[in-house]
Amino acid sequence: MKILVPSKRVPDPDQRIRIAASGHAIEKDDLPFVLNPFDAISIEEALRIRDENRAGEDEGEVVVVGIGGAAYEKELRTAMAMGADRALLVECETAPDPWNVARILQAVVEREQPALVLMGKQAVDDDSNQVGQFLAALLDWPQATFASKIEFDAGRVRVTRETDMGIETVSMELPAVITADLRLNEPRYASLPAIMKAKRKPVDRIDCADLGIAIEPRVRILEMEPLVSKRTCVQVSSGTELLARLRDEVGVL
Amino acid sequence: MMVEEPASVLALAVGNEPLTREVFGNIDSVSKVLFYCLATLSVVIFGWGIWRRVRLWRMGRPSKAKVDWRAALRGFWAKVMTQHTVRRSRRRAGIIHALMFWGFSVLFVGTILIGIEEYASLILGRGAHDPVIHKGLYFAIYEVALDLFGLFFLVGCLWFIRRRLRAAKTSIGHNALDWVVILSFLAIGVTGYFVEGLRIIREATPHPELSFVGFGVSKLLGGLGVNEANVDPVHLALWWVHALLVFGIIAAFPYTRLLHVIAGVINLVSTGKHLGQLEPVTLEELEETGKVGVERLEDLTRQQLLSLDACVSCGRCEDVCPAFEAGKPLSPRDVVQGLHQAMDALSPRSGEGESDAPGLHGEVIGAETLWSCTSCSACTEVCPLAVDPVRLIVDMRRFLIGEGGLSGPPAAALQKMQRSGNPWGLAKQDRFDWAEGLEVPTVVTNPGFEVLYWIGCAASYDRRAQKVARAVVKLLEIAGVNYATLGPEERCNGESARRMGDEFLFQELAGHNVETLARYEVRKVITHCPHCLNSLKKDYPQFGGDYEVMHHTQLLSQLVLDGRLKVDSEAELREGKRGRITYHDPCYLARVNGISEEPRRLIEAVRGPEALVEMERNRSGTACCGAGGGRMWFDDALDERVGGSRVSEVIETGAQTVAVSCPFCLTMVGDGLAAKAPHMEVVDIAELLAEVIEEPGRSESTSM
Repeated sequence: MKILVPSKRVPDPDQRIRIAASGHAIEKDDLPFVLNPFDAISIEEALRIRDENRAGEDEGEVVVVGIGGAAYEKELRTAMAMGADRALLVECETAPDPWNVARILQAVVEREQPALVLMGKQAVDDDSNQVGQFLAALLDWPQATFASKIEFDAGRVRVTRETDMGIETVSMELPAVITADLRLNEPRYASLPAIMKAKRKPVDRIDCADLGIAIEPRVRILEMEPLVSKRTCVQVSSGTELLARLRDEVGVL
Repeated sequence: MMVEEPASVLALAVGNEPLTREVFGNIDSVSKVLFYCLATLSVVIFGWGIWRRVRLWRMGRPSKAKVDWRAALRGFWAKVMTQHTVRRSRRRAGIIHALMFWGFSVLFVGTILIGIEEYASLILGRGAHDPVIHKGLYFAIYEVALDLFGLFFLVGCLWFIRRRLRAAKTSIGHNALDWVVILSFLAIGVTGYFVEGLRIIREATPHPELSFVGFGVSKLLGGLGVNEANVDPVHLALWWVHALLVFGIIAAFPYTRLLHVIAGVINLVSTGKHLGQLEPVTLEELEETGKVGVERLEDLTRQQLLSLDACVSCGRCEDVCPAFEAGKPLSPRDVVQGLHQAMDALSPRSGEGESDAPGLHGEVIGAETLWSCTSCSACTEVCPLAVDPVRLIVDMRRFLIGEGGLSGPPAAALQKMQRSGNPWGLAKQDRFDWAEGLEVPTVVTNPGFEVLYWIGCAASYDRRAQKVARAVVKLLEIAGVNYATLGPEERCNGESARRMGDEFLFQELAGHNVETLARYEVRKVITHCPHCLNSLKKDYPQFGGDYEVMHHTQLLSQLVLDGRLKVDSEAELREGKRGRITYHDPCYLARVNGISEEPRRLIEAVRGPEALVEMERNRSGTACCGAGGGRMWFDDALDERVGGSRVSEVIETGAQTVAVSCPFCLTMVGDGLAAKAPHMEVVDIAELLAEVIEEPGRSESTSM
């Protein structure tokens, strides 16, 4: 089974983010980038499906897709160090918005003809949570979002979804789009030796224009400002004092 | 020809009869020929077996280090002949082993001497009763010594048989073959004395009482009716039994655990101080072989393969393993024996080419086993034959890491070390926040510093450990030490990454730090973290960083001794809040780096000698808190942690305070006590000291 895993590189969530002087973007100098954590989970799941032969087919391939500039190659190497077979880098001048990402991915899917698209439910930088859904609609494929478990059964795929109302299980025909939630798995660690070995794996570069896609932006960022956290810590000496403070100072009781 | 012995040399000679015995007395020429044939056969079998082992060992990677013959000779005396390493733990069994070893050695040397005598007299054409050396005073000493050491040997055999029969300690691994060996030894000893007794009856040599055991046996046999007339066939028969048993044992040497006599001794004498040390892997090696660490047996070094044959499965390592004690799927003995058996099953290859050896991972050693190790090094320290399970485990971890065999919280910790320079992924810019409100000098603000205070990740970011750094800084200021810190330029030193097998992440971090330390010309370093200490002291020199590294307890105890830190002896009594204190030795301080007295001196300085309550496992025999070797990042549930029993041991002392001197121990012991004994408090020794130190107002900065 061929599994396509679209991915995004995001600023390291552990680092402090600064807003650029323009006020429309973040300061990217010196900022370390990593694979979007939800995409790392998708890659891990795709590798397990391939290696455990879960879909009941002998041949399996995991193809990672990235959309962005040449610097993206580092994160794609990480994905291949984890075990992905090859990578596709769609080179774009500007960072496309979710709708255009979905259009690019649609073109990639039509080229690659995977049986399954498995991707993170959202990227942790802009948190839009739209691309998987857009893509399924564009392809007219069934979709299951927020997956916490994926099983295969006689050509169909059963997905356990985590929703606010509870755990839901859906069954879909393949091909399909699945987006991964946090509890799907714990991704493996790609160490330097693995990254070095992954240098021998191929990264195919495709120009955005070669896919026949002209970017049509639908989202414009008006303004960005830093999030200010106003947490303060106070040590209280007794439960009574805690209640009093919550009532009088915070006003929650 | 008779030789007259000068009376002054030998008063023991009687009349004209020399004090000696006949070699091969009563052994007819057919028996003699047969004896030499069988002797040759057993030596050939022995030699073939050893050759086979040597070929197996040579499948490994050649060692980088050169053999230091002088150190090996010293080690042979200090470790092998004195039997020091085997007597160090399990004292009684160790002494018995020593008796057996000394007995065996003397009997072995005695037999060689007989051989020398035999060939010397053959060459010189001496007759049966005209020996070259085997006579007179030499003979007298020889007879007494061999009978005495033969007794040691027999006592050893009997004790070991008793010990195995009781088998109360499951940690003694033994099988049928081991029984054959020990019973053969017993039989060799017993038949030896009987042959001697019968020889005394046969030959009626002067002073038979010199062979005091054999003489007793001759009296006994005499009482049973054996006399000069009927002794010959009995003597010949028993002599054959004795000889055959000896040949059997010689032939069996390379095929049984007796191999430890050879492999163990080589391993022991060629191993220097090795606690806390690991071999680096270079990028070139990685590019050449395409992998890092140990996947198959031949990825081990020759010395490591040899060390597998040294292991006799005595189980001392298992007895002291904290992971085994906590019920984790790890026994260092099983790791070594598992590898040993895998090697046993191989046929040695002579040529080059792809290996037919199966991979070790999963089949021989499970990943869970490898990840259970805290690298506390108790097993490596206790092993009488210098087998190093910690290095075997780390070498195999390196392969797992290279293959993406780690996920979850520990994998995240490694990623964060790489990205943020600390295992929690906290911002690099915040690294110096612990010093907020204090005027802590950095290498930039105090470029003329003499000693660098290395903070480490824990005290940089962990709220509890930050207090330790603040206490140390307070003490350094009071004592007027000319120090500095790296401030925000410090990075994780990579110690736990290296022990987890992520060698290249470690090298990346170490390279960065070595560069920073060189830029500020750092020579002396103090740190309150034993893991940072070990890494800076033993790992960094491999990458161009040579520093004089001290633990804070060493510097502080020196400052107290010099009177630069004055304990306000009333303060603690006035406050009276600490009660009795027990001290938990960190593995990487006490065991791996031998620092255990300075912390105690500091506790005594604070509270006097009575306040300290020792735990049973202390100093280099300490028990791991469970956080070393990267276990800190595994997020075990509290009741599954390695080191749970250590917390119980702390509670059993009845002390009110437990002092530690390691941020990992602070966390692990602290977590354990919070759950089981919240009335107890865990403090770093520096905090203990800072509470009671006189503050003379800020003194001028004086030279250290």
